[in-house]
Amino acid sequence: MIEFKNVCASYDVEVPILKDVSFTINDGDFLAVVGTNGAGKSTTMRLVNGLLKPTAGEVLIDGVPTTQLKTSELARKVGFLFQNPDRQICCNTVREELMFGFKALGEEGSQAQARVDALIERFGFDPQAEPFLLNRGTRQLLALASIIALEPPVVVLDEPTTGLDFRECSKVMDIIAEMNARGTTVIMVCHDMEVVADYAKRVIAMTAGQVVADGPTFEVLRNRDVLARTHLLAPQIVDISLCLADECEPLRNTAVARANTLNEMTEAMTAAAQGEGSR
Amino acid sequence: MIEISNLTFRYREGAEPTVRDINLSIPDGTFVGITGAAGSGKSTLTYAINGIIPHCYPGDFYGSVTVDGLDTCEVSLTDISRLVGSVCQDIDSQMVSSVVEDEILYGLENFGVPKDEIEGRIQEALDAMGIVDLRDRSIAGLSGGQKQKVAVASVIALKPRVLVLDEPTAELDPASSVGVFRLLRSYARNFGTTVIVVEQKIALLSEFADQLLIVDNGAIVFRGTPPEVLAHSDELLEIGVNCPRSTSLVNRLRAHGLYNGPAVCNVPQAVEVCKEVLA
Repeated sequence: MIEFKNVCASYDVEVPILKDVSFTINDGDFLAVVGTNGAGKSTTMRLVNGLLKPTAGEVLIDGVPTTQLKTSELARKVGFLFQNPDRQICCNTVREELMFGFKALGEEGSQAQARVDALIERFGFDPQAEPFLLNRGTRQLLALASIIALEPPVVVLDEPTTGLDFRECSKVMDIIAEMNARGTTVIMVCHDMEVVADYAKRVIAMTAGQVVADGPTFEVLRNRDVLARTHLLAPQIVDISLCLADECEPLRNTAVARANTLNEMTEAMTAAAQGEGSR
Repeated sequence: MIEISNLTFRYREGAEPTVRDINLSIPDGTFVGITGAAGSGKSTLTYAINGIIPHCYPGDFYGSVTVDGLDTCEVSLTDISRLVGSVCQDIDSQMVSSVVEDEILYGLENFGVPKDEIEGRIQEALDAMGIVDLRDRSIAGLSGGQKQKVAVASVIALKPRVLVLDEPTAELDPASSVGVFRLLRSYARNFGTTVIVVEQKIALLSEFADQLLIVDNGAIVFRGTPPEVLAHSDELLEIGVNCPRSTSLVNRLRAHGLYNGPAVCNVPQAVEVCKEVLA
């Protein structure tokens, strides 16, 4: 469990970035933190993995303040995927890269080797390939795999799909969803609201260093007031649903006005068009 | 006017050509969006326009590319860069100064822009990107999104005839991404500048581009206005290009026999189609 208790944070004392932020992330959550550039999302992520310590308040990981945890202790609990995979890739081959975390923790035994072998097979990597010669999507997958390798109970992902094409994005996100299904807590910063809608179970919307909304994904994404205050755009299907409910009074109590996904909307529209009254 | 005739290019270290048999003519002032799966050849196609190939990356170059009548193989890279301004995918690799104003000044001074024009150009570029307040800021202290705007401003200041941008909104939040695309479109319209954008965010391209080019395996497989191209959503998905959800919804309604019109590119158009279907 991760608890933010009245957390303030800044890089420069005169420019506060986070202002009195409190929330709790439960084990197994799939949380998306959304907001505009500069809202404080990445700062929040850095507080979770201990790269940054609060200037006031506390960040507790399983009840222990991050200020009392060593970086190596935190690294076992929280895996961190940077937005730019090149910031974390540092080895000459894919295999070395996947072993790097184990090496840092002094655990290079046969168990680690076996885990790396399994990841190479699962991701379809060439173990001898040079990481920096791989394309961006594969580098992102490699960075993700090197975090999964250590099986941390919590993973923090800063924009995991930036610069990826649709197939790569689906591959990365499906792997993350699978980790979450097996109990890993996932916290991601994401600008792509379609990805948020497809994968996150809970959304925290931030603006100007404060939390504006915190709740189940579609409860937050369907809230026009929250969207306006955080300058966010609703996922397209939600937007269509909200517009239709606003503009067509008879639709307000139908499934069209509640549809969140492409399948739900197609079904709701088909039913409404055939006059089945989808109330 | 950009004319590409029978362009095929193979990087020296590549076994196969990265782009093959491309024929394309782009009239002045067109906003062109290029998308496709990773490794499809999108960026290489833009490198042929801004002269990066064959000037920086050696390889086998067949066919010709002319910009405003100048053959990009025959003139120097310096001459091409006076016509074609480029914004790289990795913004940090393009930044040379420590302060925003100096970054914009750098290109202007290198191009020998007369002193009395410089202040106006800087002001206009900052204004066009909505970052007048960043003028005296240190680049190291800017967010990814702000840097992206600075990079575009420093190229716009040079008043190129063609602007080539590789994933210009990768690090931007949704509202800022829309803002950048809106600025680019109005820039193309107001100044007659041709804007060529490589982008994975198909929803943005569909809404703002005049022409869409879909690249697969080095060839242009679809080209046309966004509704023309997006009508092929199933085929696009097969080559790793996902349509905006608004487009997919309307295409599904068509497949269900509920709608018979053209493909849509954005939420307002989809809402209109839904209203028509339910009328």
